[in-house]
Amino acid sequence: MLEIKNLQVSYGQEVILNGIDLKLEPGETLAIVGESGTGKTTLGLSIMRLVEGTIRGEIRFNGKNLLSLPDSEMQRVRWSRIAMAFQNANNVLNPVYTVLNQIMEPMIEHRLKSREEARDKARELLRYFGLQENRFAAYPHQISGGEQQRVLLAMAMSNNPELLILDEPLSSLDAASRAEVASLLKETDKHRTRLVATHDLDTAGKLADRMVVLYGGKIVESGPIRDMLSKPRHPYTRALIRAYPNMTTVKDLQGIKGMMTRPVSGCPFHPRCTQAIDICSQEVPELLPVSHGREVACHRGGIITLLSTGNLSKSFGSIKAVDSVDLHIEAGETLALVGQTGSGKTTLAKTIMGLHQPTGGTVYLEGEKVENRGKDFFGKVQMVFQNPGESLSHRLSVLEAVTEPLEIQETGTKEDRENKAIQVLGEVELPQTRDFLNKYPHHLSGGEMQRVTIARALVLDPALLIADEPTAFLDASVQAKILKLLLNLQEQRGLSLLYITHDIAAARKVSDRIAVMLDGRIIEEGPSNEIVATPKQDYTRRLLNATRI
Amino acid sequence: MHIDVKKEIRESGPGKTGLIILLLMIGMAVLAPVLSPYNPYQQSTASLLPPSLNHWLGMNHVGQDIWSQLVYGARTSLLVGFGVGIFSTLLGTVFGVSAALVGGLYEKIVMRIVDAFIVIPMIIVVILISAYIRPGIATLILLLSLLSWQGGARVMRAQALSLKERGHVAAARSFGANRFYIAWRHIVPDLGPILLVDFIYGVRRAVFMEAGLAFLGISDPTVVSWGMMMRDALSFSYLNVWQWWLVPAGVALSLTIIGLTFVGHAAEPVLEPRLRGVEIA
Repeated sequence: MLEIKNLQVSYGQEVILNGIDLKLEPGETLAIVGESGTGKTTLGLSIMRLVEGTIRGEIRFNGKNLLSLPDSEMQRVRWSRIAMAFQNANNVLNPVYTVLNQIMEPMIEHRLKSREEARDKARELLRYFGLQENRFAAYPHQISGGEQQRVLLAMAMSNNPELLILDEPLSSLDAASRAEVASLLKETDKHRTRLVATHDLDTAGKLADRMVVLYGGKIVESGPIRDMLSKPRHPYTRALIRAYPNMTTVKDLQGIKGMMTRPVSGCPFHPRCTQAIDICSQEVPELLPVSHGREVACHRGGIITLLSTGNLSKSFGSIKAVDSVDLHIEAGETLALVGQTGSGKTTLAKTIMGLHQPTGGTVYLEGEKVENRGKDFFGKVQMVFQNPGESLSHRLSVLEAVTEPLEIQETGTKEDRENKAIQVLGEVELPQTRDFLNKYPHHLSGGEMQRVTIARALVLDPALLIADEPTAFLDASVQAKILKLLLNLQEQRGLSLLYITHDIAAARKVSDRIAVMLDGRIIEEGPSNEIVATPKQDYTRRLLNATRI
Repeated sequence: MHIDVKKEIRESGPGKTGLIILLLMIGMAVLAPVLSPYNPYQQSTASLLPPSLNHWLGMNHVGQDIWSQLVYGARTSLLVGFGVGIFSTLLGTVFGVSAALVGGLYEKIVMRIVDAFIVIPMIIVVILISAYIRPGIATLILLLSLLSWQGGARVMRAQALSLKERGHVAAARSFGANRFYIAWRHIVPDLGPILLVDFIYGVRRAVFMEAGLAFLGISDPTVVSWGMMMRDALSFSYLNVWQWWLVPAGVALSLTIIGLTFVGHAAEPVLEPRLRGVEIA
């Protein structure tokens, strides 16, 4: 039906779309999703050939390359066979025509219908999209934004196009009308081929069968929409989902680190990515199939598993503190490990860190078996301990404590190390004054001490931070601050977090997934919202009930 | 919490007294050439003279100036004392801390050696060995050090075992620190007060042993020593030379040991759990 090959669109020097390949089957609805400025609208306008910049590549509509069509022929295709509902209703509607006339116009212009037929058709469409009859004779500025949007949809549908391009079709509707219009489009008009450009995952989810995620003018991921929403493979897709509020989100909303910048060499997302490696800034990744119907453009094959354990066990004598634990933590995600005191959570963390020798099983870092923990391991995995007062040596000042990991790893000169430490102290929102740097732990409050230990763990720029009950010794208000800090750090640095807690209520606020541990075993694991809403194990239910006030 | 050992000692009455005595003794040893006009080894025909203006404590049986011998005796006594204190504490720390950190077979072997030495009465062994080799100062320091580090090692190991479970040690390990770094940066600094006490008791023991061996006449007879002075003086006990020969040497020795005991005693409270969760094993 529609096939786009290596489409490139640029305005002057600025490349907006870069090497887009798309295929649309008849009757299919494809959602183009991305933040503002990723080129969604430009893509729609390119298909309509309404874009002002330079277009290169091919856009084949039923086999014909639209880009090489003469203007007169394109004129016939546009609006009658391919129609587009624009995003910004106010600018598109002609202020001197009434609503009804606006819709009649394309039909008459394309000589598809007589004036009478066109009027009837227009009325029918407006009614269909739920515009009240008394608004038909109104001028665009006399109706509300939501009503304008309905008019635009009616207008786009007026010539019964084969391909309908909807640019943010529901964005100016309230939630109730949104659902109504979405079901109109989805249910009663389901055989039409549609392209929905939106930043709104809810709209995409309601309308589309497949989804393409655009970032920086490139497709970073594509696949069936349900599949993608429940299990995103590209870090950007996950970040978008994380940033989007819905009723099943239990975690606090999180932005994506940094801002979109253009142009970027290599992968367009690498400056904001949670798992970028050297190659990401040098080469553009290709969109490659990863599993059934799913494609990801990522040098690392999509979101990687940062750390995993296989059958990891640790016994103390006859006590199995950790019993055959299989756990995996993806780059950039938060996994909460929840369980009561003595369930083996800390032992598991310490075994992962190499502070305990495992009695069985293996730890894998980025898919590779961890044998001897050296600079590689400790540079990637760091831990914040339960009791900040204990885990800071009383003999080391704040500066000495925070530079200690760098000193052990023999990184840089003394001055480099101190500068790094001071910078990280700023990140954890601690003062950077000389006075503070020279303080000893017993001069600090519990919250400050925990921030120092967090800074100390971050100074090696780890990819994974294991936080073992980081707030156990702190009061609720300080706890809230520390949890917020951890979330912010995750956003800024793209950290993965293994958050260990006995408090499932706190876990639910910070984690993407929850694993419940009892007697050394993981008894239940899943997305936080599912664990909280529909726990499968009695023990999890008990934990949940215990936190209800 | 920082504990200031120096402050603890200064603020305790006996501690202060002990410190003053020790400083006097050290001053005497250091300033020996200034304080004594005569060479303590210089023999003369003027034997067994009572005190006079020229010879404050008189002369001994071979015509040596007793005051000079007393002053130089402090050198021997303190040199042996501090030498043994340093070496035995060092050995104790190295073996104790390494046993705690390395563990396994190494720890078992070291600790069994320690046990073996502790059950053997040290004084008998020292007397036996000395009787054969007649040790000079350096040999004596070595001998006493080798025989006296074991108690300290035991305490140090116990303490290091407790310290190595501390959060900050675990944290250092999680940054990739090796055992040497942990011992040096995290364990030994926290052993400070124990090291001090171990050191002081080591010094005291060595001062006493040195005097004892010299008194028995089985140390190097060419070295001036309080023990030897007392031994020589005793053989002339029928004369009243003991007043200026035996008594000053005895008093000097006793004062030194009392000074060390006082200081050690004053330093001990810092090891108490109420201050640190540290206990002496």
